[in-house]
Amino acid sequence: MATVGAFCVTLHEDKCINSRMPGKCATCVEICPYGVYSLNGDNEVTVQNYNACVGCRLCAEFCPENAIRINPAESELVSRYPWTLGTVEEIHHKALTGSYGLRGFGTMGGPTPHFDGIVVVPSQLSSPAPRDKYREECNMEVVIGEDTCEKPIRLQYPFIFPAMSYGALSREAKLALAIAAARTGIITNTGEGGVVEEEPYYANGYEMPDRKRKIWEPGGYLVVQWSTGRWGVSADYVNAGDAVEVKIGQGAKPGMGGHLLGDKVTEDIAAIRGIPVGSDALSPCRYYDVVEPEDVKKQVEFLRDITNYQRPILMKLGPSRPYDDVRAAALAGVDAISIDGLVGGTGCSPEVVTQSVGIPTIALIGPAVRALKDLGLHRKVKLFALGGMRGGLDAYKAMAMGADGVGFGSAAEIAMGCRACMACHQGNCPYGITSQNPKLRERLVPEEIGQRLANFINASAEELKILTMLSGHSDVKELSEEDLRALDVNTAAITGLKLVGYERPLPWWENGNAK
Amino acid sequence: MADAPYVLDAKGKDLRAASTELKSKLAKDSVVVKNASHLHGLCGGLKSGEITIEGNTGDYLGVVNSGALIKVPGDAGRYVADNMTAGTVIVEGDADYGAAQYCYGGTVVIKGNAGDFTATMNKGATIVVGGDVGDEAATYMVGGDVVIGGNAGKNLGNYLIRGSIYISGEWASLGHNCAAGDVDADDVRKLETLLKEYGVKADAKTFRKITPVSDKPFYSH
Repeated sequence: MATVGAFCVTLHEDKCINSRMPGKCATCVEICPYGVYSLNGDNEVTVQNYNACVGCRLCAEFCPENAIRINPAESELVSRYPWTLGTVEEIHHKALTGSYGLRGFGTMGGPTPHFDGIVVVPSQLSSPAPRDKYREECNMEVVIGEDTCEKPIRLQYPFIFPAMSYGALSREAKLALAIAAARTGIITNTGEGGVVEEEPYYANGYEMPDRKRKIWEPGGYLVVQWSTGRWGVSADYVNAGDAVEVKIGQGAKPGMGGHLLGDKVTEDIAAIRGIPVGSDALSPCRYYDVVEPEDVKKQVEFLRDITNYQRPILMKLGPSRPYDDVRAAALAGVDAISIDGLVGGTGCSPEVVTQSVGIPTIALIGPAVRALKDLGLHRKVKLFALGGMRGGLDAYKAMAMGADGVGFGSAAEIAMGCRACMACHQGNCPYGITSQNPKLRERLVPEEIGQRLANFINASAEELKILTMLSGHSDVKELSEEDLRALDVNTAAITGLKLVGYERPLPWWENGNAK
Repeated sequence: MADAPYVLDAKGKDLRAASTELKSKLAKDSVVVKNASHLHGLCGGLKSGEITIEGNTGDYLGVVNSGALIKVPGDAGRYVADNMTAGTVIVEGDADYGAAQYCYGGTVVIKGNAGDFTATMNKGATIVVGGDVGDEAATYMVGGDVVIGGNAGKNLGNYLIRGSIYISGEWASLGHNCAAGDVDADDVRKLETLLKEYGVKADAKTFRKITPVSDKPFYSH
């Protein structure tokens, strides 16, 4: 309830249909996930509880008369911290119910260091001259598994859609992601909830399972996830995609398994996951079939064997001890590692975990890159940075810090229409993204939303291209830390980047002892 | 199928070499594998065929098995029949830690004893242990049957959601959401068939049946 009391809700009665004709419209009452509005005994809309507003503005978007205004309230962080209204309300909630808060989406607000503390350095006289974005080429291709398997993945752009399960997302949202991956030549990922029937051939660009006519060029890739819950996993599942990802953890709730509450386990989801309808699908927090580090390596080996040494094996890590974890993942023999930061999102998690557990994304990339460099595997084992990536600018910064690419999870949901209301776990997403309700899912047409996602990816790729070329490069692999500067001491201290003005890394980075 | 099985000596071979040879022979022969204790995940994802693993086995034998019959005359390593969806795995001796985890279907028989966390997250397979099982057996089970001819250790069936655990002997303690009751006539018929088929000496009528208390033990609804 960190956002309690953070917004003022204003209903303009001169515009509101309901205030003129009580009972005629209650769109805001129906759409708000937090009960900000209610109908009184005379069917009049009232602002029942503006303190509950999280500022998502769903109501304003759906209001047919544009009668709602949501404005940020004056910050209580100044006058009442640490006993802000949000904290007071949270304690009252626990005292009344004995339960803690659950919610969807990722880390919101707070002091999390982020990419905004970093700027891009353009090229002038003393570095290689800029390239012409409009009339010269820029290579953005990333290849996964080039030397290790028979069917490597060739990403047209250095982007992936990270794992989001069918169950957390609707079938339509999963298919939209697959179509977008096909249209942009990137990866989509099943997540841990089994594979939707159409996903493998949609992701490769085919509308029909016979794979005769490719309609979405250039065609993308499907990664199937091998995880702690092992939902819907069989030999056919492992071979259904173009790569297998071993999930160790995720940014929103490292150290915990995925939570899919029983309300979202419909007949179709139950069938795909191989579990009873309505049962809570709680993934274990760890692998019961791994008791020592060597076991992970054995798993990577047998996954290669089951996939006939054709497909790349990937690994996804939560934000814990990036140097040691990435080192262990690389030694397990995978072809690519995704490391997900604190800001990474989820469909459902205890709020305290989403909000404050894990290392911020910008602090993960440096140690992860150093681990790979120390093994001589940087740029061979591909590194993808996830967690709060918003577009080409964040991608550039992550890649200049040494990542080979980035993942857009929350940003992809937003590209589908989401307004970050944080109520994914309630299952009533008005855009049909995180809902299993057929009426809400109808609103999400996979082909149309797939195009929106593809537009977002193409635009972000253009941003990355502009930044790459103005800093004097014609290949994203050439980006380096020299292309970045930290704006403040804190960011320079965390990342080891040169501080603006000082033009050197902070002194303790210069002795070379950083892990 | 030929009369004599093909003998695959895995000594000095890595998983890829042994597995490639195994798959090429399985189409027409049954295969006996020797000297394979260094290979982990052997017989992974097979859809058919009959394999006998002589001597010690590595870990993850028969992982994601989808229809093969895998026999182990001796003892099995860790995680035997991991994530199996169809087929049969029969271990004549004992199984180490974590046998038959994450299984969706098929049958796993361990005639001796099995270790801790046996049958964790069973989602539909039939898992028969002739002897004793260790601690935490059938943890988080969401379907299928687990039959234990001997005794069980601590926390048996912890957070059972669906499915049944049948046990002939004693248990050190039951996990959360578990209730012990008597077997009915259908259970006895099912058990008698299984015990007879796999040569487990126990009286089906003396088994106790452990079932979940609540359908949704994690969050109250």
